[in-house]
Amino acid sequence: MIYSLLVLSSPASGQCAMTAARFARAALARGHTVGRIFFLDAGVTNGAAATVLPQDETDRLQPWVELAERHGVELILCIASALRYGMLDETEAGRYEKPAATIHPAFTVSGLGQLVDAATSADRLVTFGG
Amino acid sequence: MTLHTLNASPASAAFADCLAMLAAGDVLLLLGDGVYAALAGTGARAQLDACGARLCLLREDAAAAGILARVAGAEVIDIDGFVALSEQFPRQLAWY
Amino acid sequence: MADGKRLLLLIRHSPYGSSLARASLDVALAAAAFDRPLSLLFTGDGVLQLLPEQDSEALGVRNPGRLLASLPLYDIEQVYVDAAAAARYRLDLDAAPVAALALGREEIRALIDRHDHLLGF
Repeated sequence: MIYSLLVLSSPASGQCAMTAARFARAALARGHTVGRIFFLDAGVTNGAAATVLPQDETDRLQPWVELAERHGVELILCIASALRYGMLDETEAGRYEKPAATIHPAFTVSGLGQLVDAATSADRLVTFGG
Repeated sequence: MTLHTLNASPASAAFADCLAMLAAGDVLLLLGDGVYAALAGTGARAQLDACGARLCLLREDAAAAGILARVAGAEVIDIDGFVALSEQFPRQLAWY
Repeated sequence: MADGKRLLLLIRHSPYGSSLARASLDVALAAAAFDRPLSLLFTGDGVLQLLPEQDSEALGVRNPGRLLASLPLYDIEQVYVDAAAAARYRLDLDAAPVAALALGREEIRALIDRHDHLLGF
């Protein structure tokens, strides 16, 4: 089956965002297609390139990067939420004259149409919030 | 038939709203702070048992919470089991 | 085969308490803009979005009431409201910024069953 995921959870609070990443990997392992993961609201902070965690905590960016690079999963940050949270790619950083891009290159920014498309074209839509 | 996921403690509005929407034939998967609703002998657990929906909770979150020995009667599943539930149930609704 | 799934958006957050309320309406408008069938259900604290006379100017944030009033201009299939949630706050639905059909518990469950995918905000 084709799965689309919607992630509203920030990696900074609770474990739900990492549950979403594990869910995606488990779905792939069961033979499903995970075409697109859309990040909205606080969920966009999963794409932060420069987060630094204490040494006794596991990295929360790498699971996403692996999904994109190894499994071809599209990771899309809602552009309106991303700007609100200061999450900018090179293009947006230039456009708004901000000092640096803050998004890891495994993620792309795009509009809500991508969520609507992902939701209406998938067999399964699973949301992770809170 | 809906797969409900609850990621909020039993004291939350999300818990009450989710409870009101659960129907027999649905399944409720507790994750994050939602796992505390499975604690045996609590009012929240009694309400969940009474609603007729199947009750599951995510092992990693329950283990972190230290409640695995206190949720008798609820199904403890891993992430693979979560995917399996999503295969069986055509739609999911996230409460948080 | 997976084409044209019917979406039901459940709006559960109060208008100014979180950014989710705003995101949910943006999703509704995006679905309409892309011509995808979509229904809206206001439930829980989401019914508070239906209060008339919202004035958010002093907060400097967008007024969802005004946005809701524009929904009929888009192709939103139907707008529903959880009757029990509306009653909890003694809402006068006739004064709401958008016409919403009040549903009881069983009707809401039937509504959920009629849709392919659910988005809960």
